[in-house]
Amino acid sequence: MTPLALAWRTTVRYRARAILAIVGVAVIGALLFDMLLLSRGLLVSFARLLNAEGFDVRIVATQGLTRLPIPDSAALAQAVRAVPGVADVVAIRAESADVRTDRGSRRVTLVGRSGTNANPWRLVRGPGLTDAASPAACEAVVDRAFPSAFGADVGAQIQVTALPSGQSALPAIGCRIVGIADFGFSASGEHTVATTMAALQRAMGDTREGDAEVILVSTAAGAEREAIVRAIGRLRPDVRAYSNADVVEQFDRNGFAYFRQISVVLSTLTTAFAFLLVATLLTVSINQRLGEIAVLRALGIARQRIARMLFWESALLVGVGALAALPLGGVLAVGLDRLLRQMPGLPEGLHFFVFEPRALVVHLAVFGVTAAASAAYPIWLAARLPIAETLRREIVG
Amino acid sequence: MVAAAALLTLAMLQASPAILVSRQLAARAHLKVGDEVTLATEPNGGRTATFRVTGVYEPTPDPMRFTAQRIEARLHLPDLIALAADPRDPASAEAIGAINVALTDPSGARAFANDVASTVPTVVVRPAADMREGDVFAVIDRFHVAISIVTVVGATAFLLALMLIRAEERRETIAVLRLIGISQRSLLASVAVEGLVIATAGAIFGVALALASERLVNAYFQARYDTALVFIRVTAPLALRSVAVAAPLGVVAGIAASWTLLRRNILSLFRR
Repeated sequence: MTPLALAWRTTVRYRARAILAIVGVAVIGALLFDMLLLSRGLLVSFARLLNAEGFDVRIVATQGLTRLPIPDSAALAQAVRAVPGVADVVAIRAESADVRTDRGSRRVTLVGRSGTNANPWRLVRGPGLTDAASPAACEAVVDRAFPSAFGADVGAQIQVTALPSGQSALPAIGCRIVGIADFGFSASGEHTVATTMAALQRAMGDTREGDAEVILVSTAAGAEREAIVRAIGRLRPDVRAYSNADVVEQFDRNGFAYFRQISVVLSTLTTAFAFLLVATLLTVSINQRLGEIAVLRALGIARQRIARMLFWESALLVGVGALAALPLGGVLAVGLDRLLRQMPGLPEGLHFFVFEPRALVVHLAVFGVTAAASAAYPIWLAARLPIAETLRREIVG
Repeated sequence: MVAAAALLTLAMLQASPAILVSRQLAARAHLKVGDEVTLATEPNGGRTATFRVTGVYEPTPDPMRFTAQRIEARLHLPDLIALAADPRDPASAEAIGAINVALTDPSGARAFANDVASTVPTVVVRPAADMREGDVFAVIDRFHVAISIVTVVGATAFLLALMLIRAEERRETIAVLRLIGISQRSLLASVAVEGLVIATAGAIFGVALALASERLVNAYFQARYDTALVFIRVTAPLALRSVAVAAPLGVVAGIAASWTLLRRNILSLFRR
């Protein structure tokens, strides 16, 4: 009989304790798996959101990503358009606004964007903004939840009152909904209304087009983004240009530290916990079966085979538990992600727990090492077992 | 004497206004008390004013900004307005971002906030200690509780497995005890007490471990982020809560593990 078969028989013989040990490893393993998903989840999710917008470089007024008006942004956007390798440029400005429909009035984020072929949102229904529309007309693209919340769908007319500093006596302007879109960075529970920069200017009562807070740049295929970032820096030294990779790096450095730290701490603790508990279970189990092992040795079964059998016992407990941890961890991750996404102001598309193949590889590697380490002490105990003395003690006992 | 006093007054009037700088700014810019600094509000160095450093302060730890470098300075409000107000907008010299209010009776903060909010409906008034349902830290708190529940479930499974092994080990002892007339109830009580002792001892050890590592963890993160923020604090209610959760679980694990053994026929316990 092979050591694996022997280990299997032992596990089946003591099935109650084996099942409990597997349940314990599975629960702890699920937590470890989730911490691995959390360790880079926000970062991966944030990078996906950025890349999904279709723009590779963003220009802001100051260091960091605080939204302040970029002085003379229209001229800058025009200049950036001429930089070699630049495919499209969109200037964005956001203000608070009240939208009034038959269902009443609610606060929204009003986004204005300069004329362009590309949009920083994904249109799901309707024709979208047409920049050829008359300057007096106001077209609006709204978020997916807007129609049910406001009772206004594509083609409906809404009244928009801009609120430059939280409150306003500005007159409302009428806008026609021309599209429903997904706004990647729109916070859950909040609504977004996007329109042209000209319409936003009218809503704000400005005499001239206001300065944008961010300019998004998409690059042509094969263009070197870092070179474009440098070129923008030379054009206007007073503004900051960041590639998506720079933004992700900044997010990693500043906004993400807490969850990375907690995932490292909890991963380490859960691994140590799993190791301690499996090692304790196996050791106690071996102590209980010393007589049995001494008999096997007396029958001529080599020390090495006993050691391999104990290793397989550990591998069965930890392995089955680690595999069961994957679906369990998946379900737990969905619940924990939903819980964390209750944070106010979080973009709807941002997730804390994101699956990556590397998380699976690390999870299995950690449990492989844990199984081997947990079996080490029981194997050492069994290997140095004095056969005759143990048998005598068992019989006398 | 009069002339000296007049000169001193003149010197004081001409002296640069006072400014406090954060410890981090002082370290980075090599500033010390008495130094003169020039602040500019425009990126190109325009609109400047000169101040004299009169102190270095430790910024109030802010959990929302613990990863940020606290490169900060504190000015008297009129000095800040003179420096930063928009000359094209006369109203900007009258506007401030927030007003902090210290109450003689802090317990009346909510009532005070309601009073002010109803009197001046255009401002947001909020007690400083108020933690709303959707607040970041309320959510993180719930996240920690969820993780601790998962850990407790895993630990319970292991405890149950250990207690099962212990019960199996004592199969014959239990048989003998039942043969000599010890009731099942007494035996059940004894395993319950054993489970209680093991779980309570484990929880106390856990609390002691947390207490021992508290300073280490705080020191590491405080050095890592250059902040005075306290990251871990083991409090008495927290310690009591962990013992209160662990103890009943130990009792349940002890009873559950021994239950089948106690219900079995005595002879079967002797493997007869």
